[in-house]
Amino acid sequence: MSTIRANANSASLGSPESSHYLRKVKFGSILTFIFLVVAAAFTLFPIYMGLLNSLKTEGEMLNNILAWPKTFQFSNYRDAFNKINFLQSLWNTGVVVIVGLAGIIIFASMAGYKLSRTSGKLSSVLFSLFVMSMLVPFHSVMITLNKIAKVLSLQGSTIGLGLIYIGLGVSMAIFLYHGFVKSVPRELDEAAVIDGCGEVRLFFKIIFPLLLPITATIAILNALWMWNDFLLPLLMLTDSDHYTLLLSTNMLFGQYGNNDWSAILASLILAMLPVIILYLLLQKYILNGVVDGAVKG
Amino acid sequence: MIHQGRKKIISLLAFVFPALLCYVVFFLAPAFGGVWYSLTDWNGLNPNYSFVGLANYVEVFKQDPVFWDSLWFTLKFVIFMVILQNALAILLAVFIESKGRSKVWFRTIFFMPNMISMIIGGFMWMFIFTKVLPYIAEHTFLTFIDQSWIGDPAYSFFSILIVSLWGGVGYLMVIYIAALQGVPKTLKEAAEIDGASGVQVFKNVTLPMIFPALTIGLFVTLNNSFKVFDAVFSLTGGGPGRATQVIALNIYEEAFSMTSRYGYASAKAMILFLVVFIITMIQLRIMKKREVEA
Repeated sequence: MSTIRANANSASLGSPESSHYLRKVKFGSILTFIFLVVAAAFTLFPIYMGLLNSLKTEGEMLNNILAWPKTFQFSNYRDAFNKINFLQSLWNTGVVVIVGLAGIIIFASMAGYKLSRTSGKLSSVLFSLFVMSMLVPFHSVMITLNKIAKVLSLQGSTIGLGLIYIGLGVSMAIFLYHGFVKSVPRELDEAAVIDGCGEVRLFFKIIFPLLLPITATIAILNALWMWNDFLLPLLMLTDSDHYTLLLSTNMLFGQYGNNDWSAILASLILAMLPVIILYLLLQKYILNGVVDGAVKG
Repeated sequence: MIHQGRKKIISLLAFVFPALLCYVVFFLAPAFGGVWYSLTDWNGLNPNYSFVGLANYVEVFKQDPVFWDSLWFTLKFVIFMVILQNALAILLAVFIESKGRSKVWFRTIFFMPNMISMIIGGFMWMFIFTKVLPYIAEHTFLTFIDQSWIGDPAYSFFSILIVSLWGGVGYLMVIYIAALQGVPKTLKEAAEIDGASGVQVFKNVTLPMIFPALTIGLFVTLNNSFKVFDAVFSLTGGGPGRATQVIALNIYEEAFSMTSRYGYASAKAMILFLVVFIITMIQLRIMKKREVEA
């Protein structure tokens, strides 16, 4: 190994073939850089175009779609803000995500911990029962789910929608918690029990805080899923007062068709704004969470 | 001893109960209910319905060309997505990995569409397809981009593909970057010193090392592409006509729009489940075998 290193070092110091090699490396690196810049421009293009034209009048937009706006038409945003009932829709989306997230995290961490700590047939049967569902596509359950929601009068309610997300989301969360709990030493449980700590207190006071890394991953993955999910809210939320941001935006589109683009673009930008801001702030955690979730899931 | 065992079971059930309750009510019951209703002529409203055996399945197979068109369309979409999305994601990941300082920037940008719902993404791309591209075609030499990207079946397939790639490639790229970071640098260096070209190093060193990530990548793409709904719903609505109707949309319309045939739609949903299940199982089996060899 050391001789190879030495050879490599001496080769990079001056021989003609190494300078040729370096030039090739540099040229390739410039090419990849150009490719990445073009791909990044392509990625940002729709967002940029949306932002740009949401600040123009409809006439100005049709006149020169690529140009910088002459005067910023913030009135488009004021109109969109009212049309999609922004604050109400944001609140509705928030209620769904918070109810769903709280339920998934608390219920799944309890179940995942206990299933991981308990050996025996019942425990492994329950665990497989949960994990099994990760292979079933949502479309195979949505029809009957819609009926059950009606029967339980959960249809039309944001809290009801949050509850349904708990049922659909616990599986993956239990799977992730189940794996993670193995890294928490059993001695902690035993010591706490000897000290006379009850099981519930043991879990919430001692174990749960230790699960924080995987809880963060689960929170990120599930919040993203619930925030961006469209089909389930479309089935469950029936009146516009309870619409999430996506539903309000979709409805706006239904009303105007492709006609009033500057107003529509403003509402699209508004609807994506919260999640983009959050992403730019928490970029590192979100990307790590996605990787952890994918690799373990 | 027996007493202790019972205590253990009670404590297990107490911890699992809240999750289990939500899971049974909102997932297991609908899943098994779906199997049952697929054997009935239920319309979702009428409390009276009758058991029809496999009649729904027979009808799907014999008299529903629309379903088979949508399955074929979805399958085509899945094949394109599996190849293009993973190839692009690996390419981006390899390129980004080789960059030092600008790495974070590129990663942030390429993942960004993933944060945006495909409903919103679809609407934004509709603006690009119907307004921006025609404008560019009119004012530059790029006249060939002036196509009816949404109105013409031949092009609407590609517009859905473009939007889905735009929305999904960043997710896989992040996973591949993480996998690449796990490849020991010394291995690549050793291969380079032995005179291997960049492509050779990638093929013989890097690719085998990131094979487990490839298993995940293919699994994710297969699963998501079979279930594609949002992008189609917002971009083309399944049209023109039914040219871009994917299976998920076909099931949705069968159940929730005018026909309201819950039982029949359930049968279609079961077929979708079986198709996805069988194909992903085959994929996992093949990939896992390869992983061991690598």
